[in-house]
Order: sequence, then C-alpha cells, then structure tokens
Amino acid sequence: MSDIDIRAIEDFLYREAALLDRPDLDSWMQLFTEDGTYWMPAAEDQTDPLNHISHMYDDRVMMEIRRRNFVHPRASSKDSGVRASHLIGNIRLAGKTDRGDLKVTSNFHVVLWYRDEQRVYAGTYEHHLVATGDGWAIRHKRVNLINPEAPQRTLIIYL
Amino acid sequence: MRTTISHEELDSLVEPTRLHKRLYTDPDIFELEMERIWGQAWIFIGHESQVPKVGDYFATNITHKAPVIMVRDKEGKVHVLHNRCAHKGAKLVENRQGNVRGAFRCPYHGWSYKHDGTLIKIPNEAGYEGTGFDINDTCNNMQPVAQMGSYRGFVFATLSADAPDLKTWLGGAIDCLDNLCDRSPEGEVEVAGGVLRYEHECNWKFILENLNDTMHPMVVHQSVVQAAKDYIDSLPASATRERSEAEIILPFGSSYENFEESGITGFPYGHHYDGGKTSIHAKYTVMPAYHEAMVKAYGEERTRDIYSFNTHNTLYYPSLTIKTAVQNIRVVRPIAVDRFVVETWSFRLKGAPEEMLQRTLLYSRLINSSAGMVGPDDLEVYRRTQEGLESTASDWVEFHRQYGKDEQQADRVVGGGTGDLDMRTQYKAWKAYMSGEVFA
Ligand code: FES
Ligand SMILES: [Fe+2]
Repeated sequence: MSDIDIRAIEDFLYREAALLDRPDLDSWMQLFTEDGTYWMPAAEDQTDPLNHISHMYDDRVMMEIRRRNFVHPRASSKDSGVRASHLIGNIRLAGKTDRGDLKVTSNFHVVLWYRDEQRVYAGTYEHHLVATGDGWAIRHKRVNLINPEAPQRTLIIYL
Repeated sequence: MRTTISHEELDSLVEPTRLHKRLYTDPDIFELEMERIWGQAWIFIGHESQVPKVGDYFATNITHKAPVIMVRDKEGKVHVLHNRCAHKGAKLVENRQGNVRGAFRCPYHGWSYKHDGTLIKIPNEAGYEGTGFDINDTCNNMQPVAQMGSYRGFVFATLSADAPDLKTWLGGAIDCLDNLCDRSPEGEVEVAGGVLRYEHECNWKFILENLNDTMHPMVVHQSVVQAAKDYIDSLPASATRERSEAEIILPFGSSYENFEESGITGFPYGHHYDGGKTSIHAKYTVMPAYHEAMVKAYGEERTRDIYSFNTHNTLYYPSLTIKTAVQNIRVVRPIAVDRFVVETWSFRLKGAPEEMLQRTLLYSRLINSSAGMVGPDDLEVYRRTQEGLESTASDWVEFHRQYGKDEQQADRVVGGGTGDLDMRTQYKAWKAYMSGEVFA
C-alpha cells in the first residue's frame, strides 16, 4: 500500500464532500463508475443491501432519477432547499476489496440545513475506489450512520 | 388524564363533510384520542414471527406513552404484557427487542417474573411477612393487557375489556389480512429484512387520511414519476431490461379515472381499503418461479382468485395499514399532537422465491424510507397542512367528495375511488370512539 498517495485520496474525498455541500448532484454522480453504487444501511453491520431493508441503495440509474427529482419544480419536499457542511476525518486506507478496489474508511459529521432547521448526522464512510487515468472513481460508497435503527427524519440528499 | 371537553363540544368538531382544525392542533384533543381511541381500539403490536423462540420479546407502546411487551413463553404462547414492574413501576425491558433468559428481572429491586408475567421471586422477601402483602395476589404479577388476540400471526392488543373479540372487530376488512397471507404458497408470512422508522412532525391522522386519498398521488408524486419515466424511457434499448423501480414508481402517476375505478370500501370501526378488483399494484410482474409454487399449492383457479383481489392500502384503524400485493405494512405510533413515528415492516411469503422478498424490500426502500422517493413528498404536504391549519383564515377542512353517493351493503359501504368515503368511514369511527361508548 506504500505506493498509494494518501494526500491524493484525502483530496478526492474532500472534493466529493464539497460537491455534496453545495449540493451539485450532477458533478457528484460523475465521480462514480458506471457500475457505481451508494448505500446507506438501516442496521448496524448490515451485510446485505437486497435481503435487508436500507435507507438508500442506489445505482447510477437511481442516482439520475433522484437527481432529476431533486431539481424538479413540483417536488414540494425540495422547495425549501438544502445546504450541507461535511467534515471528514480519520481517513485510513483499509486494504483492498475482493475485486481489488482500494478500500478507504473515514468518519464524517454532516450538518444539514433544511426547512429552516439544522440537523446533525454522524457516522463512518467506506469508499471503494478505482484508479482512473487521472485520479480516482467511486465504485461503492457506504454510509454507516451511528443511529441507523433510530427513527429518521426526512433526508432529501445524499450524505 | 381527564379533560373538560364535553360530548357536545367533541361532537361539534366532526360534521358530515367538515372537520374542525382542533382535531390536528389541540393537545387536549390528542390526549383524549390516546385515551378513547388508542386506549380502546385493538392496536397492532407486532407479528408472532418477531418472537420465534422462547423468551423472545418485542417492546413497543400501545398508546403514545403506555409501554407493552410481546413475549413468547415456554409453551410457545405469545403474551402481551404491560412493560411495568408490579413493585414501583420500572420498565422491565428497555431495548426494542431481545431475549429474556429464564425470567424477566427488574433492574431496580430485582423482582423476577415468568415469561407469562407471573411473579416468581422477591429478594429478601422476609421483610413482607406480617404486612398484609400477598405474594400470590395476581396484582403482583406483570399485568397482561385487557385483551390480546392474534390473527394469522398478526398480534393485536386492546386496553379495553369491552372491545369485541379481534375477529369481530376486524370485520369484513379481514379479507385483506387473509389475502396477504394467502399470497404465500404455504399460507404464512413472516417479518423479514428489518424495519424502517420514519419520524413525522405532524398529527398522526394525516397519514391515515392520505392512504386512500387518491386525489393526491398524481400531484404530490408528479415529480418522481416524471423523473423516473423520462429517464428510463431515454435509456438505450440495450439497457431497457425491466427495472422493478419503474413498475413500483410509475403507477403513482395513475390517472383520476384509474383511481376512481379502483373504488373504496369502508367497514365498521373505521377500517377501509381502496382497490379490490384493481389497484396501482395490479400490474406487477408475476415471477414464474413464484407462480409455479402458487399453482402447486392452490391450483390455477384459486391462485388467480388470490392475485385478482388486489388492494392498494388497507387501514385497520387506527394503528395498522397493510399492502397485500406488496407484502409490507406500516405501523403508526403517535407521540404528541404534532409528532408520530411510522414503522415499515416487510414480509417474506413462506415458500416463495427470495426475489419476492427482495421486491418487497425494494418497495419499502424506494417508497417508505425517510430517504425515499415518495414518502418525503407525502410528509411535506402533511407538514404544510399542520402549519397551514394554524392560520386564522378558517377553522375547517372539508371532505365533500361524492358525499351522499356511498352505497350501504350488508357489512360494508362502497363508493368511488376518488371520493371521500375513506374520510367518512374513519371519522364516523372517531366520533364513536371519542364518545366513550363505541363498544356500548
Ligand atoms: S421497581 Fe421493580 S423491583 Fe422495584
Ligand atoms: Fe403519497
């Protein structure tokens, strides 16, 4: 793993977070591979996105549907707009996935402003990254909330 | 809790075609609802499959506050007990689910109870000698609820000793619970794949009123239907493998005519469903392996009968709503006048291929998740209503649609799918419960 430049990985994660801060879903989606997925499990240590319920589990098609809905003028839950501030820390290289992608774990605190109110989300990220010609692409992003089983309030954006 | 709202005053809040805004905004009305509706009706507690082994328990609240436990004893019998120690009142279990090995043990002074609630032992019992305290008096047990009942594994409880038995109370709406279970080749369902809990910052009645409000989907869900349709249509032919997402999302954009055709059926005690002959779930793909298992179990004709009873939402007023064709349920848990939680549970059809459960879970995730594509827009309009009703412009909301056109049949009332029959049905029950004499 010594050939991996952790600074470059950090830069990549910060850039991703900045796109979600705005939020710019169009550009954010482009960070994913064609077969990329985004997963927010609904239970701690959940191993399976299909045979157990999740808060979100999107492939690129669902990401695009979500993006179009997000900017649709008739989506009333999006009228009030949303802004976010992502703080990412404790970024660590965690080896390789079965398919050889680079596994990166980190902690996040996200403050969301939505419907005139600030909300806090916290947990860990797991990114599976694929090297591209000029950097990295996300094959999989897993979002482990610290309270995935708790009653959740409306979440209209990716964390 | 005792309030001073008179019968006349309560009665004046519900007119045949109008409701007073206090139903949604007044904390005293909410407390009275907890006492007279939630404190009398059969409330859904959980499914027996959530407590498969001896000592397994599932804890929830039967009203906004009253904590109860569903637990399985050594003989395999399921009980619903108050989650309260007979000594000084401490809750016996704190987690939502778990297993009680051997006995419940109170965390405060260590009284222990059998799984059926019978008191076993008090530490240092000698201190009670000669005090008139009788350890064998059943008042020193964990108390059972007034009545509990189970229908095909669905466990309900009521705090009222006067409530009719569960089956009578479910009435003709029981057909939907039967249909959900009959969709399993083995005639049995079980909870699978965990739960979603979604906090709603509004009055609990909004979600009940919305279930069969078929005038809203094409408006509230227009954005996601359009987003999904436009994008999926634009995908190249090579990528047009049938996506279950399309099957699930697109019918939310069904026309007024389609919804009118599906009809609404109402029953005593506020229960109702829309659909029957058809619903927005009627065009789901029938998976070949599933169909094969069904035909093997029931034969062609009965299988077709089971599929053809296709409902959208069934409400067992006030706590449970089920989707027979999707195999998921939502459970309503009020907290305050402007706050409640909805739980979404998914079911496995025993004997069906796992793809069926996966579709159920996909539906729950896409539609019912707090980060879903449909639920958040529903909640948004409930919240706008909660906030809008604080306006001084009017004290009333109306529900005139198809008033006077409902058809009374033997045990049910039927009407058009875009009418307000669902509202008339549930507010008739609201009035009856709130009068305090619903079971008189
Ligand atoms: S309160 Fe339970 S043992 Fe005292
Ligand atoms: Fe809706």
